[in-house]
Amino acid sequence: MRLFPRFLNGAGQLYVGLVLAFLYLPIFIMVLMSFNASPFYQLPIDWSAGWYTALAGNSQLIAATWNSVTIALTTTAIATLLGTAASLALYRYRFRGKKLLQALLFPPIAIPWLITGTAMLIFFFAVGIGRGLHAILLGHVALALPYVIVVVSARLQTFAPELEEAARSLGASQWQVTRRVTLPWIAPGVIAGALFAFAVSFDQFVVSYFLSTPGQTTLPVEIYAAIRKGFTPEINAVSTIIIVLSMTLMLLTARYFRFGGEK
Amino acid sequence: MTAAPPPGAQHSQLRPALPLLLPAYLWLTLAIFLPLSAMVFFSFMTDLPLADRSWAMTLGNYAAFFETDLYGRLLLRSLRLGLEVTLYCVLIGFPCAYVLAKVLKGRSREAIFLLVILPFWSNGLVRIFSWAIFLRGGGVIDSALNAVLPFEVSVDLMYSYPAVIIGLVHSYLPYMVLTCYLTLQAIDDSLIEAARSLGASRLTVLRRLIVPLAMPGLIAGAVLIFVPVVGSFMEPRILGGRSGTFYGTVIEDQFVAVFNWPLGAALSFILLAVVLAVLALAAPVLRRQT
Amino acid sequence: MAEVTVHGVSRFFGSHAALQDVSIDFPDGGFYGLLGPSGSGKTTLLRMIAGFDFPDAGAIAIGGEDVAALPVQRRRIGMVFQNYALFPNMSVFDNIAFGLSVRGVARKETRDRVEKAVDLVQLSGLGARRPHQLSGGQRQRVALARAIVTRPQVLLLDEPLSALDKSLRVGMQIELKRIQREVGITTIFVTHDQEEALTMSDRIGILRDGRLEQEGPPAEIYDNPASEFAATFLGDANIFRGTVDGNTIHLADGTCLHCREALPPGTRAACAVRPERIMIRSTAGPVEAAAMNSLPARITKRIFAGNSITYLLNWQGETLKAFAQNTGTTPFDEGAAVTLHWAVESTIPLS
Repeated sequence: MRLFPRFLNGAGQLYVGLVLAFLYLPIFIMVLMSFNASPFYQLPIDWSAGWYTALAGNSQLIAATWNSVTIALTTTAIATLLGTAASLALYRYRFRGKKLLQALLFPPIAIPWLITGTAMLIFFFAVGIGRGLHAILLGHVALALPYVIVVVSARLQTFAPELEEAARSLGASQWQVTRRVTLPWIAPGVIAGALFAFAVSFDQFVVSYFLSTPGQTTLPVEIYAAIRKGFTPEINAVSTIIIVLSMTLMLLTARYFRFGGEK
Repeated sequence: MTAAPPPGAQHSQLRPALPLLLPAYLWLTLAIFLPLSAMVFFSFMTDLPLADRSWAMTLGNYAAFFETDLYGRLLLRSLRLGLEVTLYCVLIGFPCAYVLAKVLKGRSREAIFLLVILPFWSNGLVRIFSWAIFLRGGGVIDSALNAVLPFEVSVDLMYSYPAVIIGLVHSYLPYMVLTCYLTLQAIDDSLIEAARSLGASRLTVLRRLIVPLAMPGLIAGAVLIFVPVVGSFMEPRILGGRSGTFYGTVIEDQFVAVFNWPLGAALSFILLAVVLAVLALAAPVLRRQT
Repeated sequence: MAEVTVHGVSRFFGSHAALQDVSIDFPDGGFYGLLGPSGSGKTTLLRMIAGFDFPDAGAIAIGGEDVAALPVQRRRIGMVFQNYALFPNMSVFDNIAFGLSVRGVARKETRDRVEKAVDLVQLSGLGARRPHQLSGGQRQRVALARAIVTRPQVLLLDEPLSALDKSLRVGMQIELKRIQREVGITTIFVTHDQEEALTMSDRIGILRDGRLEQEGPPAEIYDNPASEFAATFLGDANIFRGTVDGNTIHLADGTCLHCREALPPGTRAACAVRPERIMIRSTAGPVEAAAMNSLPARITKRIFAGNSITYLLNWQGETLKAFAQNTGTTPFDEGAAVTLHWAVESTIPLS
């Protein structure tokens, strides 16, 4: 039985349609404008791929993009490895202070990045780590770690501890148990965690912004600088590429992994 | 036979856990916990502790917050912005989550749910930028409206408070839909049927059953939205222009324009205190049902 | 194959004693049933033999070798878990082959041994299936095959049949027993189901609150329970309490019951009578011989179960139980006044 009469269902669907329009309209317009030859976004659209060719010649943007990709991939690798290891320890062993360690994962997620970012800037500056790509990587891994641990731990909750015990009773060493029984089961969670890590790093603006130096920036920082200098339609083009890429990536993973659920 | 000592500690299994835990937690300590502590320390300093500068401990940075009413006013303005954005997200997001969880079925539900949370995975800065294109005067809205309306209008929302609100709601709405959807979907349909069979009207069911049961989702969504919005600076800068001065942008200025880091640290720490207070208030409701 | 000895084992969780000074010899090649209610410590004991838990005091030896320093994977045990714990990411074949493959057994030998194990548990042709495509009984067989294919010294079974429904369970009991006989492996079986323990075990140990209450072959324990707990937990029993005078117990209402053995005189004690040993006669009928105990009672409830009838009776405000075979005679009506008779031989004194 439904709570509301049937005729309201149509209204409900219409409403969801409007919400979707609100979410996608500006993005859609931006994509259109990236193909508009007019730098002042004049209508009707004068179709052109000129901004994309201009983009190909913008070495500064390309370097920043390369930095973003490299940092995101490195962050994903490190955070997934360390985060999965920590999740396994939190799942497998009992010890005092475990609750505290689990609680410590939430401040990095809940505290606004403005605070975390400025705090990192101050601290890294004071201890001599300084700013630059290495500092950005250091920060990104720390931001991504809690997400990986939370996602992998959630998947581990569905894992029966007897499976590890059964494997050990059959003569498997700790490493064999992990590799052949535990990891295959939590693989969807690990992949979901890796995607989170990639997204946190690749989309990260605030922390990168405070930790970057003029030569060593990431793409979002570069875009922000360009927007503040004045609109340049090249940014439309690069934004379009980013948004299409990240949405496609997510759609593909959602198809295969249903956000870390069953295959 | 004598009792041999059991291998490893029995009650605490910290030793085998440490090699797996240490790398992650050392990293978090170095990049999150130590910086946050350092920020507190710096907020009590007169200047940066660099070789060529003299510094001393002071309460001056906090005094600055209270001496002029500028920072207090901006903090209030940011809090109001947070409340407004959260409210709009609840008003728009909850019904949307309800339709997704209780009206739509099967594949269409999955597909639309995915569409709603998809923007979430794309770059926030880029999405704000897309609003900047969309909202600017002489832009898309003008042309569209003038094409249908018989009289000439000019809509220029860019660089205004509403523009900031729209951009932020757009950025954070998926959080609210997601958290509400998860709790609403967990409500058993038979509960609704039971309430109806006991003679409750539709509104009563909504008010007495569905909203209370969905409360953890609403609160979680509200916290996830309110906290970052209070600390936002990029969105007001891009969409707010001159009317985009908020608490977050002032902190940004201390670090990238004015270079008064101790004051910035103090302002950040005050924001952190506000955030922690909000989280502490929300914690009991969130813990009740998990 | 090997015998398992548990000597003076205790295990404490905080101040709670899960096991207290338990010593059991599990004979080589035997089928030993550890029986007890939940919380009696039977699973803790099994997990300590497996190596998942460690005693705070005492020693465990498998095949004469003390295993305190041996981790699980080197104890050469096979274990079947309550929920079977089949690896969901592996086929039936890979599940069974797992123990061989982690030991580095050659591929051809692995295939032969797995095939033999599959035949033994009668699962031929299902090797490619995934665990979720199997029925409960089939999963049970895979778990068993996986546990014995490595030729362990001991087979540990943790309530392996409790997840099956009743009809399947009885079939698997026979099957499990057959396989154990064929392999001849020392088997330790944990259960809370007394019927299962009675039908399957060569020896039974009854655990209660972390202590070994009684131990012995099933028939011996059933016929000679040492305590009220043993009498009521393993099978049904009517318990009578009173004061001891030689072979006789004087009940509160003055009735004398004769026991088959003497008890320490003057103490308060109890005796047990199995419900199937009690005969019901109408009060008007002939008086029984002197070798019988008798009590007047009233029938309060008659429960028909096809091949037998259970009577609940009221005696002095207490409820007694008696079983009667359905032999075709007219059953007694509820409310009827009757006399209960049973042999002195069937009156078991309890300490």
